Amino acid sequence: MTISKLLVANRGEIAARVLRTAKARGLATAVLSHVAEQEGPAHLIADEIVMIEGPTPVAAYLDIPQIVEAAKKIGADAVHPGYGFLSENAAFVAALEEAGVTFVGPTSETIDLMGDKVRARAFVEEHGFPVAPSAIEDDDPASFVERARTVGYPLLIKPSAGGGGKGMRIVREDSTLETEIETARREGVRYFGDGRLFVECYIERPRHIEVQVMGDGQGNVVHFWERECSIQRRFQKIIEETPSPALTPEQRDEICETAAGIARAVKYRGAGTVEFIYAQDGAFYFLEMNTRLQVEHPVTELVTGFDLVAEQLRVAAGEGLSAAQADIPQTGHSIELRICAEDATADFRPAIGDILLLDEPMGEGIRVDSGILDGGKVTTDFDPMLSKLIVHGPDRAQAIARARNAVQNYVILGVTTNTGYLDEILAHPDFASGDVSTGFLAEQSETLTAPGEDVSDLLMAAAALSDERLVSDVMQIPEMHRKMGEWRN
Amino acid sequence: MQRIFQIDGEETECWLGHDGSRFVLNTPNGTVACQLDPTGLPGGYTLRAKGVVRELRLAVGPEATFVHMNGRTYEVGRVDPAERLAGSDGGTGDDRLVAPMPGVVVSVAVKPGDTVEEGQPLLVIESMKLETTLTAPRDGVVAEMPFAEGDSFGLKDILAQLAPEEE
Repeated sequence: MTISKLLVANRGEIAARVLRTAKARGLATAVLSHVAEQEGPAHLIADEIVMIEGPTPVAAYLDIPQIVEAAKKIGADAVHPGYGFLSENAAFVAALEEAGVTFVGPTSETIDLMGDKVRARAFVEEHGFPVAPSAIEDDDPASFVERARTVGYPLLIKPSAGGGGKGMRIVREDSTLETEIETARREGVRYFGDGRLFVECYIERPRHIEVQVMGDGQGNVVHFWERECSIQRRFQKIIEETPSPALTPEQRDEICETAAGIARAVKYRGAGTVEFIYAQDGAFYFLEMNTRLQVEHPVTELVTGFDLVAEQLRVAAGEGLSAAQADIPQTGHSIELRICAEDATADFRPAIGDILLLDEPMGEGIRVDSGILDGGKVTTDFDPMLSKLIVHGPDRAQAIARARNAVQNYVILGVTTNTGYLDEILAHPDFASGDVSTGFLAEQSETLTAPGEDVSDLLMAAAALSDERLVSDVMQIPEMHRKMGEWRN
Repeated sequence: MQRIFQIDGEETECWLGHDGSRFVLNTPNGTVACQLDPTGLPGGYTLRAKGVVRELRLAVGPEATFVHMNGRTYEVGRVDPAERLAGSDGGTGDDRLVAPMPGVVVSVAVKPGDTVEEGQPLLVIESMKLETTLTAPRDGVVAEMPFAEGDSFGLKDILAQLAPEEE
């Protein structure tokens, strides 16, 4: 099954990134767009733009029949979903299969299995891989409290039907276990109409470490090493790096082999990521598997030298994996910063505005995967992530120095962004030493958002002298009055 | 000539003049001789003021000037004092909540006539997939809640109005 024309069912920086590789491989390319959408880098790269409709732009990007129809209409023989939107939607994969269009990604069965957190966890445990000790009430309600006790303390009670942290309780002492279970049950009923619970061992100051895998769908799987993603705000990553500063070489091999083993067990096809919770004592547990390309995949590309989208397209075309495990290096250090339109000093409130001036950094070891253009508008229609700045250096210290220099020179004027905040994180001594957990940004929020040096006089001078009307008014005042102006106070 | 500049929510009144050879900005902190010369880069300038020289990038928006300097980005709001007087409609900024961005109302916690305390949640809005709770800017009585649950609103729409404070 050769692929000659690829439709990218996505937008923004990831659509541009996928299109670049597809074009370099000689494919004809197309990308979706909605009328309400600004022109972006992807529109300048794609050979063809397919307009989609919907009450909101997001609804259009989630409209399976419309997108399958679009692929057929333009004669695309494959669809790349990017990340987000329909990238982990089993019904979309099935609809494409039925239409005879290749989905660049895993099978709908794999997506189904890994999308169900309880089934995925059970699958991983059955195959002998580590999951956090837990007890599920549904397994045997009568013995639930007893089984919860054997998980040990601290433990976390979660509603089975839950999400978003609602109804979760941390229990540190056995004496409060039963009352906390009853409270969690009432909250579960209130929030989700479902009082069933499960408990799992609560990891203090955990790190989030994940492993990039790639499979051919026949049981051959390689890994492309790990990524450390502990720097998160509102449960979303904003800085990722590889290698992880937490792992010894032995732990690195162990966690990467575990991930590859899980992928092998499902005969995984395409690019995927196995996420782990990593405890301060070095223990790690399966969290979930993402059955798509990740936002942070470029750090892996910079240390391995592989183009992961090219690997995805090879596998989708039935050409298999391009490399054996021994041929995949991990050279130097790479860091990604997610540039977002948001105000880090106001609880990361999303910002909107017109991009009045854009000047992105360039140079050795610097890559920018950008979804914006100079003169564009940042609206509330989509996610606040505007672009990704990815750097590579010979070692971690040099990568941090390079990232700081690049983010300081990332000029986006007209909309509030987090570039200054990202630089403050990189400058923090705990980040430099690698001593972080997923709670780092919350714990350090005061330090990271503290006001910098007071430069308000310089800013007011710049604002005054660049105000054409003000300057022209001032120059029209007769000399005498101008001098009087100075005396005024 | 006068301007009011707004940095991090703080307003400063300034007076720009020219003494025949250079510009001078009078601020509450003192007088600053200053000079701004283009560098040739888009929006690129060299600023000389207070005895320092800074390379900066600058963009002038309709209501604010954006400055990139020393690796940080700043927003300087500009108000012409003459326009502020002309545009006054009796209500003060303290009386209303203005939408920081377009979005949808998720829930409304109060109704006109309710007495509220500073910091009390008035309504929850959703923009860019994130929920934000908006709270009362001061103690007072709710005069108007123009939007109901599920309504969409635009940038700078008034989301809540308090009755004017009695003297």
